[in-house]
Amino acid sequence: MTSTTKWLVRVLGCAAIVTCGMVASAGAQDARLEGRVPEAVRTEVDVIVEGARAAGLPTEALIDRALEGASKGADGTRIVAAVRRLRDELGMARDAMGSASTAAELVAGASALRAGASADHLNLLRSQRADEPLTVAAAVLADLVAVGVPVDTAVTAVLALAEGANDTEFIAFRRNVERDIALGASPVAALGVRLDLAAEVFTTDRAPPPSPRKP
Amino acid sequence: MTEHRDQFDRAVELLKEPVELRADLEQRIMAEVASGPRPKVWTGRFWRAGNWVRRGRPVSVSPLGGLALAAGIVGVLFVGRALPRPEAPAPAPLAEAQGATVAQFVILQPTAASVSLVGDFNDWNSSSTPMRRAGSSGIWIVTVPLDPGRYRYAFLVDGATWVSDPSSPPALDDEFGPPSSVVTIGGS
Repeated sequence: MTSTTKWLVRVLGCAAIVTCGMVASAGAQDARLEGRVPEAVRTEVDVIVEGARAAGLPTEALIDRALEGASKGADGTRIVAAVRRLRDELGMARDAMGSASTAAELVAGASALRAGASADHLNLLRSQRADEPLTVAAAVLADLVAVGVPVDTAVTAVLALAEGANDTEFIAFRRNVERDIALGASPVAALGVRLDLAAEVFTTDRAPPPSPRKP
Repeated sequence: MTEHRDQFDRAVELLKEPVELRADLEQRIMAEVASGPRPKVWTGRFWRAGNWVRRGRPVSVSPLGGLALAAGIVGVLFVGRALPRPEAPAPAPLAEAQGATVAQFVILQPTAASVSLVGDFNDWNSSSTPMRRAGSSGIWIVTVPLDPGRYRYAFLVDGATWVSDPSSPPALDDEFGPPSSVVTIGGS
């Protein structure tokens, strides 16, 4: 083999290695972020997303959060901080709700944690609804806090409903509370009235009835 | 009755009488046949081409050539399997088709020229889900199929102003300034 041939083989080998590296790198990045966030932000978000993926956490919500920030014109620092914070909350939710939880459950659990619920609350919710999806129950908890119900009261209400209510009933409960608040009731009073009504329905229609409302 | 019987017997006798044929009958028949339309037959270069195709001929292939030919055939088969197939007319994803809920989003914006629904379900793309104005009431509506889950969203009015949904819970974690709402789709 002549020196020219050896040189050519080495150049082609290096080019192949570089090409493979570029292809692998491009595959790790999410194409939806391209052109939506600055390159430096994209790199940081990709690192967070890859770490979450390696840890077995859902990554779609992280990309969505970055895209939301980009659409609303947030600066890169805030976008990266928001994505990182959500990654941490998803991890906490997974630890509390179990590794078998779905992505939707973990996203809702992260919302509940953001609303002020504790990991113990989520763990208790999981144990009470072992055979039911937790997505709506955890989301309703966060939604009740968002409309002004104190965290402890919202947690008590959701845990009381958890054993008997299905998703549709959870959503109806939340809507009724929101409607009562919009009509002028205080959040705590609205929640109490609706919880009493739900308890009556469960007591008469099915067993076991929910736990009594926390005073 | 006897009269009918006699007529029948006479007819039978008439039919039994010998008939004399004209001597040139055979020539006249053959002349008629010859003057009729002839059946079409394949002739000329098409017929010769068909013969060329059908005719066998010896083919000699070297062992190396045969190996290359076999490798080529195997290669074509594998490449054909590896190539992406033409995409079928985009069917809805199975999970979406089976478990999706059609959610309707409504907002009142009487003075808006355009309103878009932007959220987790469309990659926060402001041009993906334009809303339509319902008559002249100023109500804007759009429906979106959503799988069970929790989604953040907002309305973008006239391409510039972010507005949250007053009929849905607000997102607690508005870290980017303009508010968002959340919608939760249940599965049980």
